[in-house]
Amino acid sequence: MSSIPPSSVAEPALGARQLARGITATWWYTVTAVLFIELMLVVAWAGIAAAEDVSGGVVLFVGIGGVVWCASTLMLLVHYRRRVDSGPEAMWRSLAVPFLVAAAYGLTAGALVSSWQLAAMPIVQFFVLLSWPRGVRVRVVLAATLILAALAVVDSAAGLNGGLPWWIPVVYGALLPGMSVSSLWWWDVLVTLDRARASEAKLAATQERLRVATDVHDLQGHHLQVVALQLELAERLLPIDADAGMEQLRAARVSVDEARQGTRDLATRFRSVPLGDELANARDLLVAAGLEVEAAIDADADAAPASALGPVIRETTTNVLRHGAGRRARLLLTRTADSWRYEIGNDTVPGAELEHDGSGLDGVRRRIEEAHGTLEVRREADEFVVVVTVPAETEEGR
Amino acid sequence: MIRVLLADDEAMIRSALAALLRLEPDIEVIAECADGEQAVTEALRLHPDVCLLDLEMPGLDGVQVAEKLNRAIATRCVVVTRHARPGVLRRALASGVAGFLPKSRGADEVAAVIRRVAAGARYVDPEIAADALSDERSPLTDRELDVLRAGRRGETTGQIARALSLAPGTVRNHISVVLGKLSVETRQQAVLMAEERGWI
Repeated sequence: MSSIPPSSVAEPALGARQLARGITATWWYTVTAVLFIELMLVVAWAGIAAAEDVSGGVVLFVGIGGVVWCASTLMLLVHYRRRVDSGPEAMWRSLAVPFLVAAAYGLTAGALVSSWQLAAMPIVQFFVLLSWPRGVRVRVVLAATLILAALAVVDSAAGLNGGLPWWIPVVYGALLPGMSVSSLWWWDVLVTLDRARASEAKLAATQERLRVATDVHDLQGHHLQVVALQLELAERLLPIDADAGMEQLRAARVSVDEARQGTRDLATRFRSVPLGDELANARDLLVAAGLEVEAAIDADADAAPASALGPVIRETTTNVLRHGAGRRARLLLTRTADSWRYEIGNDTVPGAELEHDGSGLDGVRRRIEEAHGTLEVRREADEFVVVVTVPAETEEGR
Repeated sequence: MIRVLLADDEAMIRSALAALLRLEPDIEVIAECADGEQAVTEALRLHPDVCLLDLEMPGLDGVQVAEKLNRAIATRCVVVTRHARPGVLRRALASGVAGFLPKSRGADEVAAVIRRVAAGARYVDPEIAADALSDERSPLTDRELDVLRAGRRGETTGQIARALSLAPGTVRNHISVVLGKLSVETRQQAVLMAEERGWI
């Protein structure tokens, strides 16, 4: 399970990160599109105000107020993106500011320029940018467009003639709801696609689990049958030949053990985590065990040879958990020019017998030597240290 | 003699293990309990040297029993499990469990662990340690985990905010980041996922 190179484990995570970055970029693209249309309209209305009013104060209000209004719709858009998991009362509270800004700007600017459409536009845009349920939004947009178009007609009947091509804000004003919503719709499509990708990954994992379940079923069925036969044989043999009967009982126990081991192997076959995560888990376990842990793990730990170092980390961490006197431990993984150095040390009780040199470390030593590395075990007065050095994998060696 | 308390909700396994342990010359099984609450009561009454606790029990689980006992009396707790869920070893070590081994170990091995633990040593089964090392790391920050934990019983955003002394908006931001990181759609799904993987 540790023979999988770390890169193959790290890849999907990296891909997901890139995708998340892409989604954020698209989000800003959507925001920019909506804000750009709004700002265009503000500039156009400021132009009309300039033609209508010579004093300039109105122009200033329409322009600067417009920028404030655009900024407040940014709050709406952020709310649209994070529309999850908020109760209605909290939702209305966070929407109150954009609504009040829109109403204040619209009514004042509308009254100053004496345009019904300008008065209504910010409030209408507020409702358009809310996250409506599917189906409702189409109706909201249609209604919004109709209202703005109707008010445009009223305005032109009242003779709003700024000298400028005044139809520009009017036409674009009527188009505003549709254009904003199509941007939001595009954003929704992208989010749905992203979710589909996530559920696809989950589906693959579920299918794999289903396959493992079938394998486990087959394996256990087979072993149960063997055990049943061995027990039946023991039952028959015990009265005639006690030794042979006992032999069958022992064989049955071995079969049970095999079944258990086989099940475990199946379950752990696909479990593999990057080396950095394994070391982080090791540190967490040692801390949980009440040790004071000094850890320095190279940021590039996932690139270290996992097939050689993984078993060492497992063996030595278990040893520290089991045998350490339990006050301090040291966990280091450092990269030198052409090799990786792993060091784990813990304090020992002075005079206590050392149980470290079990067969476990011998197995680890073999693996390390196969990887052309070295394993050094140091026993000091109050400390036990294992240092492992393995050559770094070259690019072509991977 | 090492005085041992046994707790397992599966009667067959409990009585078989008790019978096997009684065959050991230096081990005396002084109580057999069917659930966590009973184990706590009996242990407080009898003060056993070692408590052998099943992890999966109704009511209090083995680690919770060990946590309660370690605060109250001087006893050593060994937790056994059929399947060590992610994060459980970390939780067990943090609550002062002295031994952790899979249920599949034979009674002779269990007896050996009881002796070691009674002598003051700690025992963690290599298989369980290896599993714990390959646990999937949580991509969430401590604060995000706090938010999930405070809301795991379906509390509202307002309740979570009050519990953690945060602004409701901050809580909502944390939740939306969590949903993004775990690619799930609701807070409930995020809580389930985090519980399944032993992050909270």
